[in-house]
Amino acid sequence: MNGLVDFRGTGAVIYKELRQMLRSPITIGLAIVLPIMQMLLLGYAINTTVEHVPAAVLREDPGPGAQAFLDALTGSRTFDVVRRVRSRAELRESIVRGRVRIAFDIPPNFTADLLAGRTPAIGAFIDGSDSAIAQVAYGSAIALGGIPLRGLSEPPHAAYQVRPVVLFNPAMKSANFFVPGLIGLIMQNITIMLTALAIVGERERGTLDQLLVTPIGTAGLMLGKLIPYAMLSTIDFFVLLGALRFIFGVPIAGNVLLLTVLSIGFLMTALGLGLFISTVAQTQIQAQLMAIFILLPSVLLSGAVFERALMPLPMQIVSYAIPLTYFVEIQRGIIVRGAGAPELWNSIVPMLLYGAVIFVLASLRFARSTRA
Amino acid sequence: MSELAIAIDGLVKRYGDRNVVDGISLGVPRASIFGFLGPNGSGKTTTIKMLCGLVAPTGGSARVFEHDVAREGDAVRRSIGYMAQGFALYGDLTVEENLEFYARAYGLGARSSARKDDVIGIVGIGAYRRYLAAHLSGGWQRRLALAAALIHDPALVFLDEPTAGIDPVARRDLWDLLFTLTSAGKTFFVTTHYMDEAERCASLAYILDGRLLASGSPDEIRALPAVTPAGCTRYRIAASDVMRTFRRVKALGAVRDATIFGRDIHAVADASLTASALAAGAEVDAASVTPIAPSLEDAFVALTRSRSAA
Repeated sequence: MNGLVDFRGTGAVIYKELRQMLRSPITIGLAIVLPIMQMLLLGYAINTTVEHVPAAVLREDPGPGAQAFLDALTGSRTFDVVRRVRSRAELRESIVRGRVRIAFDIPPNFTADLLAGRTPAIGAFIDGSDSAIAQVAYGSAIALGGIPLRGLSEPPHAAYQVRPVVLFNPAMKSANFFVPGLIGLIMQNITIMLTALAIVGERERGTLDQLLVTPIGTAGLMLGKLIPYAMLSTIDFFVLLGALRFIFGVPIAGNVLLLTVLSIGFLMTALGLGLFISTVAQTQIQAQLMAIFILLPSVLLSGAVFERALMPLPMQIVSYAIPLTYFVEIQRGIIVRGAGAPELWNSIVPMLLYGAVIFVLASLRFARSTRA
Repeated sequence: MSELAIAIDGLVKRYGDRNVVDGISLGVPRASIFGFLGPNGSGKTTTIKMLCGLVAPTGGSARVFEHDVAREGDAVRRSIGYMAQGFALYGDLTVEENLEFYARAYGLGARSSARKDDVIGIVGIGAYRRYLAAHLSGGWQRRLALAAALIHDPALVFLDEPTAGIDPVARRDLWDLLFTLTSAGKTFFVTTHYMDEAERCASLAYILDGRLLASGSPDEIRALPAVTPAGCTRYRIAASDVMRTFRRVKALGAVRDATIFGRDIHAVADASLTASALAAGAEVDAASVTPIAPSLEDAFVALTRSRSAA
């Protein structure tokens, strides 16, 4: 090493670095694929235009006025009517379940009142979980009242209004949307990373062979590795939940015990993914890149950060392949909308199934990778 | 009870289309140090891993204290200790914590604290109990690794290059320790590249390209016909200009082999070449040429050359 402005050896170092880089095809592959994936995911997933908000409708009036309102609703780009319900209970339930973000209630005498010029009101129940969607939905719902209803013979411009009611998170605070989704995301990231690195580190340091000559069993080794990290992640969960409640002031509407149990269920997935990475990666750097490869889509597509309802359909379909998607649904359901297990079945079952399958497959792979 | 700690019979390990270990048969006597020698990549570590039950043999069999390594892995693992190549303990744990972990791994239970004290005493690492393993010098790290390999009081310990990269004093201390332990009945299966260590082994095996080239005591190996062919004599030639003398010696028709050792040349010559003729041919004075017995290094060099020539 000579002076600062001594450029000798630049070529030699470049030669060595490039050679080393090319020696690890996995690393270079990930370094090229990751940015493309990032670009595509970010480009498609981030959509701030609120359109196609899933909506449910309870039509209590068979008359042509109700039909005319439905036509107007269908014609709007903001709302997509995805559910027709038969009772107010069902209407509320479809919001608690997270199937729709807004639910319209057309009252029984809507057509009659309209024709009599009594300016009837349509109820619009908005899920306030996602403040961005809720605010747009709120404005758009009111604006629907100004759209003339077509197909009614007389009077041509009968007046009616839409009265929106925000059901959860009535103040439409954005923290109440973001923070609940973040708990699962953060738990998942830290668990996958730590688990993968812990096992790969053992391989890299050469301590794995020394372990394998002891009577420690394969399952014993695996559980012994995973349980401390599961404990750490569980502590993380409570810390994050405390931060949600007391730092961000997000009220927890549902059952904390249910949330805790399901979080531990979700941990299986994260531990399994960490274990899986550890069976593939040879070095800690490879493990880190692979973890990013798994984490990135789940950050962007799970709904933890960006509302899935606003994503293009292919992205929404892909999001079902991501275990975190189900857990984000569960967390928002319990924390924001006060949902219980019965309302969340269609997220709970796939999440636990997913976790169990990943965990078992990763364990089998791990068992094979440690015994030659 | 067999006299042998290890009985290996036609052991083979095939990776792809290459036999990394190619039909080795060996017996390792109890309560002694057995040296397992061979160049890098000759199959030493793979053989050890098969004997420890870490790698499944492709063919042949091996028994450790009468237990088949392929079928009775658990029994084998309980009766052996293994000290892997390099530093394979946890640098971020203290000496005591490392030993505690291995005591638990072997399920020692109530005996664990007594055993910990025992092995700490045996390797003499007591002063460093609370040191992080990463902060120990190379020699102490090897002692700690030996302590960990001894924690469950195994009758047989495999040491894969235990002294690679440590200083001569630490090396000698470690070997003295091994001798003390053999007198207490332990068997050590050691790989090394150091010839002075090989000389200290009760018996040796030398392998090349996965095949056993020679086995026996150091004296038996030095006396092998392949080392000094019948009718030949081995000479040491002291030279002032080693390279020049070396070229002259090599050029003599009756010289079968010549190797430089520092400022000396070791040469194997036919009976037709007398010491004085050799001195004349090498252009050194007669006093510089003395007949010698082969060293182990001579023996291994000769074995390796005869093998590659075949």
